[in-house]
Amino acid sequence: MRSLGLWSHEMKRAGPAALLAPPALVLLVVFLVAFGTRLGSREGNTAWFLMTILETGIPLLAGIAAASLIGRDRAVELQLTLPVGYRATLLRRLGVMVGWTALCALVVSALLVVTGWWDLLPAASHGLAGQLAWLSPMLWLTALGLLVAAALRSAAAATAIVSFVWLFEQMLAHLFQENPMLRLFHMFATTYGTAPDEWLPNRLTLLATALLLAAAAWPLLGDAERTLGGEKE
Amino acid sequence: MIATFRYEFLMQIRRPVLWIVYGLTFAVIVVTFGQPYAELSMGAGVDRHDPTTAMIVSADLLMLLLPIVYGCLLADRLIRDRRLGVVGVLDATPTGHTSRLIGKYLGTCAATAVPFALAYFGRAVAYAITEGEPSALGWAVAVFVTTTVPALLFVGALALAGPLLMPPMLFQVLFVVYWFWGNLIPPRMMPTLADSILSPNSRYVAYGLFGYRPAQQPPDVLVAPDYYTYGPVSEAALNFLRPEAGVAVALLWIGVMLVLAVSVLSLARLHAIRTES
Amino acid sequence: MRIEISRLTKTYRGGVHALDGLDLDVPTGMYGLLGSNGAGKTTLIRILAGLLKPTSGTVHIGGHDIATTAGRLAVQRTLGYLPQDLGVYPDLTARQFLDYIALLKGIDSRTTRRRRIGEFLEVVALTQDADRRLKGFSGGMLRRVGIAQALLADPRLLIVDEPTTGLDPEERIRFRTLLSQLAGERTVLLSTHIVEDVAQTCRLLAVLAKGRLAFTGNVGELVSQADHRVWTLTTPGPAPSHGRVVAAVPEGTGMRYRLIAPTAPDPYARPAEPTLEDGYLALMETGR
Repeated sequence: MRSLGLWSHEMKRAGPAALLAPPALVLLVVFLVAFGTRLGSREGNTAWFLMTILETGIPLLAGIAAASLIGRDRAVELQLTLPVGYRATLLRRLGVMVGWTALCALVVSALLVVTGWWDLLPAASHGLAGQLAWLSPMLWLTALGLLVAAALRSAAAATAIVSFVWLFEQMLAHLFQENPMLRLFHMFATTYGTAPDEWLPNRLTLLATALLLAAAAWPLLGDAERTLGGEKE
Repeated sequence: MIATFRYEFLMQIRRPVLWIVYGLTFAVIVVTFGQPYAELSMGAGVDRHDPTTAMIVSADLLMLLLPIVYGCLLADRLIRDRRLGVVGVLDATPTGHTSRLIGKYLGTCAATAVPFALAYFGRAVAYAITEGEPSALGWAVAVFVTTTVPALLFVGALALAGPLLMPPMLFQVLFVVYWFWGNLIPPRMMPTLADSILSPNSRYVAYGLFGYRPAQQPPDVLVAPDYYTYGPVSEAALNFLRPEAGVAVALLWIGVMLVLAVSVLSLARLHAIRTES
Repeated sequence: MRIEISRLTKTYRGGVHALDGLDLDVPTGMYGLLGSNGAGKTTLIRILAGLLKPTSGTVHIGGHDIATTAGRLAVQRTLGYLPQDLGVYPDLTARQFLDYIALLKGIDSRTTRRRRIGEFLEVVALTQDADRRLKGFSGGMLRRVGIAQALLADPRLLIVDEPTTGLDPEERIRFRTLLSQLAGERTVLLSTHIVEDVAQTCRLLAVLAKGRLAFTGNVGELVSQADHRVWTLTTPGPAPSHGRVVAAVPEGTGMRYRLIAPTAPDPYARPAEPTLEDGYLALMETGR
């Protein structure tokens, strides 16, 4: 009951505008699915766009949400004196934003499967493992956002790094594709292509490294004095 | 306005995260673009010994990804006053709202552009020494002032004003998507503002004012038989926004960037007036 | 809940000594903490609330050592805290904000939360505005929301930092009375630079100056710091150079000054009865 109440308050606290982006992405997919071909986009192109939205758009939303967690809380001083640890509150907030984004990603996936677009997606796996197409990069960028937010204590700086990494992996995808080691870490291996037998190892590597990034963030998030100090601005 | 400029400049340039984030991202760029950055030549046949071309390539490399860092670091500056509750105090000062906005805009943009400029001019100095081309420094200034500064003025206005009009988090997402879609996506791929007169990352000044020509003809440019240029892209939408490059169009692009910056700032001011009333 | 502070030191990065070997014993009841800006009050309060870790020294609250996680959590479960700058979530209404804080304070029963929130909204006179979003609240109203949240969980230790800033005189009096009523079995630590608030509510108090304890004792003892040192003088001319002016009121064609000085600052100066503010200022003058 208490937990439900807290989740509900966290959703209200985030505000409707902050929760708007993931459903907007769903609408964009619906629009492309419905009208893409009629607008003159070739089938292959539309399929590629749909995968781009799923594999790159969803992680960007979650990553920026994670990067914005620290540094913008107006009631941080009060929060840090409450017996429920602030770390738990931050993770709940992250859960609201990332959970909502993941839910929207699931809706997009279901829509693509039902309409048959999923079969046309380049390099996409089928079945449950196929969901790693968005889940792995989403969790990786979220963990990165969390770590840089905790380390730098500045939402502006953390979002700058997350945005940079996102853009970097998009613009220089070929660098990742050319190097067998880097291929394992490429967030957008589905969109930009990889050898079929390397796709799953890539997804699992992302999940494992996301775990490492989150583990590095954990002690930083628990340091009240650090969090209270905030960014020197 | 000068006092606001000075204050905002110092406040921003003293932020340790400004230097940390720029340092990290710049290091990644240098490591990634190892060869092209060392030689300042992108693509086969670019004459790296020509200082103008080298300085244009150097600016291009930085303009690809660093504006994202620049914009994100600016995005919390206007809303910060509201968060810290100092708007009332500032309102009580004799400086007018518009002067304060301009001072804040110029001060924070200038400070946030300092690491950018250091990276750029640092490379120019290194080039001038290693190539024995002191004229590169003059070209670096000319290229920076005519291509980078107008672009950063527009991006800065956008990044400052955006979070006033929508939640900062939503703005950050839209800003990244805008930079990717509106500046980096190849125009033939989808309708985009990239390479258009509205794009801060377009090369109108490089082609129009500095006579930049990649040695090999770009494959997707609609060209006249005897020369190639920058402008309409074959099979791309929105080509009416891509006039053929020339001196007049280069100057027009600079003007468009400045007008866009002023328009965005005016929007921010109007929004503030509406909120105040 | 007794607070025992021994040789407490807090040095921030950059070598700023906010607290320097502080020894203080705060018994149950109302206790005032006075000091100028930068004296170390907020640092002390933040250490007591578990926000900052001491550089050295010990703090025991109700027998719990706050240096340990278990001790800190035990204190935070019985703590009501009102920070100097309380930020709120603008998209929540006052009732939602209080409900959120109550949940985080561990009040699981919905009925209890509703009852307490209703009670404290009444106490701070916000019942009419309870369902308005906080983004539309004035500074004084937000302060009252802050007071209500601090009281929600029936705290045994209540720490309030500059609680009456932004309140109108009527609200201030009401809040001071409330604090005094709450004190009974609780420890209420009132940190402020408004001497009047301490004078009206506390019997015991401490004064901090430059991170050290400048005074500890009862209100009467602090007042006596200014015995035979307070003067009034009505003059058409400027204030005398000797002594510190604590008040200047226009009177007729001249000014009536209230001054603190070891000896009469002017032949026409008359001795006056000291107040707590005079005592505080005299103490600060002595330490200068």
